[in-house]
Amino acid sequence: MRTRTVGLSVTGLIVAVVYLIPVYWMVATSLKETGDVFNSPPDLVPSPPTLAAYRDAVFGDSAVLQGIWSSTIITIPTLLLTLALAVPAAYGLARFSLRVNGVVMLLMLAAQMLPTISLALPMFAIFSDYGLVDTYAGLIIANTSLALPFAVVMLRPYMLAIPQDLMDAGLLDGCTGFRAFWKIGLPLVQPGLVMVATLTFVMTWGEFVFGLTLATSDAIQPITVVLNRFVAQFGTQWTNLMAVSTIIAIPIIVIFVLLQKYVVAGISEGGIKD
Amino acid sequence: MSTTVRAASAPAGATTRRRPRRHWSRYAYIAPAVVFVAATTLYPLYYNISLSLYDAPIQKFLAGTIEFVGLANYAEELRNPELWTGLRVSLIYTVATIALMYVIGLALAVFFNRKFVGRNAVRAAIFLPYILPSVVAANVWRWILDGSYGLVNHALMSVGIIDAPVFWLGRGNSALVAVVLATAWTMAPFAMLLLLAGLQNIPKGLYEAASLDGAGPGTRFRAITLPLLRPVSLVVALLGFIYTFRTFDTIFIMTKGGPGDATTVLPILAYNEAFVNFELGSGATINTLMLVIPTVLALFYFRATRKEDVL
Repeated sequence: MRTRTVGLSVTGLIVAVVYLIPVYWMVATSLKETGDVFNSPPDLVPSPPTLAAYRDAVFGDSAVLQGIWSSTIITIPTLLLTLALAVPAAYGLARFSLRVNGVVMLLMLAAQMLPTISLALPMFAIFSDYGLVDTYAGLIIANTSLALPFAVVMLRPYMLAIPQDLMDAGLLDGCTGFRAFWKIGLPLVQPGLVMVATLTFVMTWGEFVFGLTLATSDAIQPITVVLNRFVAQFGTQWTNLMAVSTIIAIPIIVIFVLLQKYVVAGISEGGIKD
Repeated sequence: MSTTVRAASAPAGATTRRRPRRHWSRYAYIAPAVVFVAATTLYPLYYNISLSLYDAPIQKFLAGTIEFVGLANYAEELRNPELWTGLRVSLIYTVATIALMYVIGLALAVFFNRKFVGRNAVRAAIFLPYILPSVVAANVWRWILDGSYGLVNHALMSVGIIDAPVFWLGRGNSALVAVVLATAWTMAPFAMLLLLAGLQNIPKGLYEAASLDGAGPGTRFRAITLPLLRPVSLVVALLGFIYTFRTFDTIFIMTKGGPGDATTVLPILAYNEAFVNFELGSGATINTLMLVIPTVLALFYFRATRKEDVL
């Protein structure tokens, strides 16, 4: 019995390693000398590893630094706005059986299914009227439109799990409804909040279509769009392209490693039940 | 803690009495999010439909001189061979991706349904491609599939499957294969997670009973696992279709829809019309037409899942 599970563990490790080869190859390539990527057979491990591509294409390139900055300026407010709107909404949907609940849930579920370009095109037209094209505010609104429905749907199961008695007790103790929600409900759904915050970050940091269509000037384009510009400019400078790709992926990988248990649990919950 | 105890002993009427008076405040929790989503999804969709009824090249649009043309854009687009090619490419791409993602996802799910040391860590690691920014994934696949120095060609040549390098993104059919491969790689973990939950709902007793009756692993898989997974598989297929049909980033980064129109799926076609040709009216028309299939499937999905207490 014991040896069998050891066998499974080893197989599992191999499966994961094979599945993640593309990720490894991205990082490995980014650590090579420019000329070494043309070696045949390819060097499976960069030897010697060098940070030259990071020096040239990331820290030595103002466009990349600008892109990282823009992505940060877009992501953080999107995250805050999404949480500020989604948390009360998910709570309201879970705790009160309002007549509109069904319609609201349907709206939230359907909104997530839309192709981003289907929103980006009319948003470009609408934003032109309001002077929001090529502004951070426009990009924050657009990104929140993607993250918010998702966040509401993902948070609702967590809110449903708050024991009703506990909230009623808070009300009896003289809390207002909102205070009971804030003081008693929220601390109980902390794992859900972490999960939704993480996924909102992941979605917004990696978002591309809105950046491509709604940010027309280089100065505010997010890093994903800067990468696309690089692909057009330096199609096969693989060390540089992989260095920029790795830099974009690093925050995602770090957050994922730290918080994966929340994320995977959340996606199984939200993905399956809803 | 004391609050819990008191709640339990409190008369039930105490809470219900104060609720009706504050009825409006319950809507206050959901109103901001609903208004925001309505303003940023429903309104743009409405705007898109109205824009599709205008001749709206971008200069006219910005000058405010667009002309109402009724359904002329639709008549024109429906006669446009590019739309039908786009639809064909979209369907091939979507169906192929779902099939591949389902097979990989199911294999992974069956494997991870068994208990072993380190299972959760390994399963979580496999999840990474799903949350990796799609532009990053696409760019990495562009490199791995590179004709001259790509890892895939090297591997295939060293085991003798191919003799000469394949320029994956340089030719129509192989470019389509390439984007399917990249998309399935990012989507399979999602399928795995859904299917894993489905597997865990299958009563273990069924397998034990089948074993006692002398059924081998292959028979058990065909006779128990696959049929009982059918509802979850349907969900994977429907959600997989809706999420794959809308793919833009991966294809845009890998091929820009090329070579020629070999990978020009409908979202890329809509983008090109609106943001390359700057024809907002016909871009909006393609946009509207493109939503027909996912909308039908979404309705089907909502009907199918309604029974399981979603709404």
